[in-house]
This record gives sequence, structure tokens and C-alpha cells, in this order.
Amino acid sequence: MNTGSNLLDVEGLSVSYGSAKVLFDIALTVGPSQIVACVGRNGAGKTTLLKCIAGFLKPVAGSITASAASLVGLPPYDIAKLGVKYIPQDKKVFSDLTVRENLELGSYATKDYNWEPVTTYFPKLKTLMDRKAGYLSGGERQMLMIGRAILGNPKVLLVDEPTEGLAPSIVSHLKNVFRELSKKSALIIVEQNLPLVCAISDKIYAMNDGRIVAELANEASIRVEVCEQYL
Amino acid sequence: MDTSLIVPGVIFGLSIGSIYFLMAIGLSLCFGLMRIISLDQLLYYSVGAYITYSVNLHTGSFWLGVLAAVAAGAAVSLAIERIVFRRIYERDLTFSMITSFGVLLGGVGIIKFFWGLVPRPVPVPISEQMSIFGTEIPIYRLIVILVAIAVYIAIWLFLNRTIIGKAIRAGIENVEHVEGLGINVARLFTITFLIAGTLSALAGALHAPLIMVDPHMGLEVLAFVFMVVIIGGLGSIKGTLISSIIVGQVVSLGSLIYAPLAQMAPFAIMLLILLVKPTGLFGSVLLKR
Repeated sequence: MNTGSNLLDVEGLSVSYGSAKVLFDIALTVGPSQIVACVGRNGAGKTTLLKCIAGFLKPVAGSITASAASLVGLPPYDIAKLGVKYIPQDKKVFSDLTVRENLELGSYATKDYNWEPVTTYFPKLKTLMDRKAGYLSGGERQMLMIGRAILGNPKVLLVDEPTEGLAPSIVSHLKNVFRELSKKSALIIVEQNLPLVCAISDKIYAMNDGRIVAELANEASIRVEVCEQYL
Repeated sequence: MDTSLIVPGVIFGLSIGSIYFLMAIGLSLCFGLMRIISLDQLLYYSVGAYITYSVNLHTGSFWLGVLAAVAAGAAVSLAIERIVFRRIYERDLTFSMITSFGVLLGGVGIIKFFWGLVPRPVPVPISEQMSIFGTEIPIYRLIVILVAIAVYIAIWLFLNRTIIGKAIRAGIENVEHVEGLGINVARLFTITFLIAGTLSALAGALHAPLIMVDPHMGLEVLAFVFMVVIIGGLGSIKGTLISSIIVGQVVSLGSLIYAPLAQMAPFAIMLLILLVKPTGLFGSVLLKR
């Protein structure tokens, strides 16, 4: 139900790939400064959900509302301009462009040319500005993808599998970054790393076969053992 | 082979390669960014040549004709992009190929309606020649080469020094990610299509004094332009430049060795390059997408 205070409301969302229905009647809410996680097995529909919110997939039913604006039917660039940004899991930066050029594109889209928050969260990017993004490590690519997405102070960040394949030290760094980011933006994180999810999330939605099967919203239920039941 | 023919042969090859480059660069960018095969570029090439012919006929100014051709190419390509291509960008690649071929054939019909079937001559605007290594070379062919060099530099600067150009390069890698940042990719598509159409028309205008302008002139260069795009690697500007030089030289020098080679040798070169590098000289990144 739309409470009016939420940054993002999803109600009755269903998505199909051709004739195959992959999401069924999804409902979720994200409040200001909340970190909301979606957990579930591969194929549960987590990435599909994020792509649908970001406008890359059109739902067959349901509504998606961000700050009173309906996102259904809008092209992805309009949704991004409304402050709902998707950070894909593929870690595909624009490899032929330098780090600086990658950030310039983020600035061009949002008219936000203040890169200080980016270099504050990820000081390493400062030293890599003139390097072609194709030569970055997996962790550096993830930093760059988050960095260019946070330009323009988005209201909601949709982060897909951010720690997949990354070294523990970088995962730990990202954990802190997500906590800091949540002070300005709400986050929906799709993640398999349950200890990380439980450490930072205010709410967890467990998904299975395209449905939300549980909503964990209190300290007692946001635990790795509880989440594991749904995997 | 008469060695005194080598210098003019090379210059001829460079000038014909320059025409192929101007046409192929648009095809290559359109495929790279929008994933369409835009055969209608050959129509803008013909339109460019015919507009140059008509303006030159009525005003006596070839260069005014070139300007009018470029403007007409831009206008026609913009209209076709808005009316036709915007509706099919998300369709399968073959859909764009068939649709654009339809646009090309329809356009050729309109050209026949207005200008008829008779080939039209466009006089060479500069008939003077200059001596290079003791051989007289037509200055106009050198100008064609210089225009192609200037276009390459301008396109390079546009793609590497402007934010729209950087967005196009990023889009060639991953359109979804560009859109996800909040950039209107439909606008990028229009800009790219406009550049392609304008350059094709410029190619037609510059080529007009070197050939007879006729309604099927686009179809006549189709195979060579496609070869340039494929050899260079789809979406690669540098590849397009290098392959247009290669194809131009093979056509020119091949005809000096044995005339039928001019038509056959470029295909052999293309097959050879594709055997060694199936994605073309600089096309690897694109095909991985």
C-alpha cells in the first residue's frame, strides 16, 4: 500500500518474458534512507525485478511509484532522471573510455559536476582518472559503476549483485559505502552475500520462483539463519 | 605493369577509398550504436550526387551544389530516421536491413521520377593538374582525399572531445548502460543517423564529377562500401579508415595489373582478412556484446 512517505512503492507487479510469467504480484516499499535487500536463489526473479523498476522491462500488470510519479511505461533514461538509478551486476563499464570520461557521462546526464562524493567514497578512483576503464580490476569497475550512478544524488539506487566476485577487503569497503550512501539515497540491493545483507539491511524481501515469500523487517528476523531458509 | 602508372594509381585508389570511407563511416556508426544495417545510406549518396548535379546546372557553382547536397542529405536522412527507423530500432537486425533496402529502392524510384533514367554528367570543378613524382595528378582527386582526411579528424574530435561523442562511443559498447545513466539514447541515435546521412550525401556530391550520376549509382558501390565496413570491423572508425584505404588501393592497383582484378580482388582480401580475424580488423569488442 502506498503510504505516501515511501520513496518507492511497487504494487501487484507482474512481468513476463513472452508467454512465460517470471514475476507474480510483487509488492514492496522502500522508505527514505532505507537499505532494502532482495535475496533468493538464482532465477528467483531478483534481477528481473530491478530491471523492471529501472524501466528496462515492461510489466504486464501492477504499478511502480517513485515520489508520487508513476514509473510504468517511462523509458529508462527518464526513470534515471527521476532519481531511480540501476547499477547492473555485469560490471561492464565503458571500457574504451577513461575513468574520467565514464564519470563525465554520469555528470552529463545529471548536470551534477561535483565529483567530491565519488572520490570521497572511492579515493582510489582519483589516481585512475586517465586510465581506460577496460583496464580496471573487478573491484575498481564496481567502484566506477557506483560512482557514476551516485552523481546527481539519486533518490533510489538499485544495486544488482554488487559484491559478486570481489575480494573480501573490497566487499568490506563497499559495505561501509552502502551505509554512507543510505544517508542520502535509499538502496535496493540484490545480493547473495547473506552476512553483508544482514549487516546493512533495514528490510529484506526473500524471493522464490518470481514471488516474494517473506518480508523480514525487524532485528530478530534479519539474520543469516533466517535468510538461509529461503535459499 | 607500367611503373609510371603507380603514382596516379595510388592517388586514384586513395580518392576512391576516400569516397568509400565517407559512406562507410555512417554505416559503421549506425551499426555500432543502433545495431541497424542502414542500406538507405546509399540513397543519400545518390541524392547528394543529383542535388550537386542540379545546383551546378542551374547556378554553375559545383561547391554550392556540394553544400546543397549536404543539407539535402541531412534533411532526408533526418526525415527517414523519424518516420521509419525510430519504429524499428528494437527489432531484429535483418528487419532494419530489409526495411532500409525498401527505403533505398523507393528512393531510387523517386530519383527516376524527378531526374529520369539518363545518366547525368557533372563537370569537374577544378581541371588543373599538379605534378607529383613527375606524374600529372588531377587536383580535384587530391581535394577529395583532403576532405576525407578532414572528415576523419572532425569525426575523431567529435567522438573523443565532445560529451555527445563520448556518449556515442559508450553507446557503441552498451546502449542500456548509457540509458541507465539518464542519457536520452533516442537523441544519440538521431544525431548519429544525421551524421551518417550527411556524410553519405557528401560522398555522392564529391564522387559526382568522377562518374556519371545515375539512379542506380548507390547500388553500384554497395558491395565495396559493405566490404569496407566488414573489413574494418563493424562500428570502428579507425578500422573503416584503414579498410577504405585498402579497398581503394586494391581496386585501383588491381586494375593496373589485370582489369578484372578491380572487381574481384577486394572480395579476396575481405575473405582473407575474415579468415584471420572474423570480426574485421578492429571489430572484436562489438561482436562480444
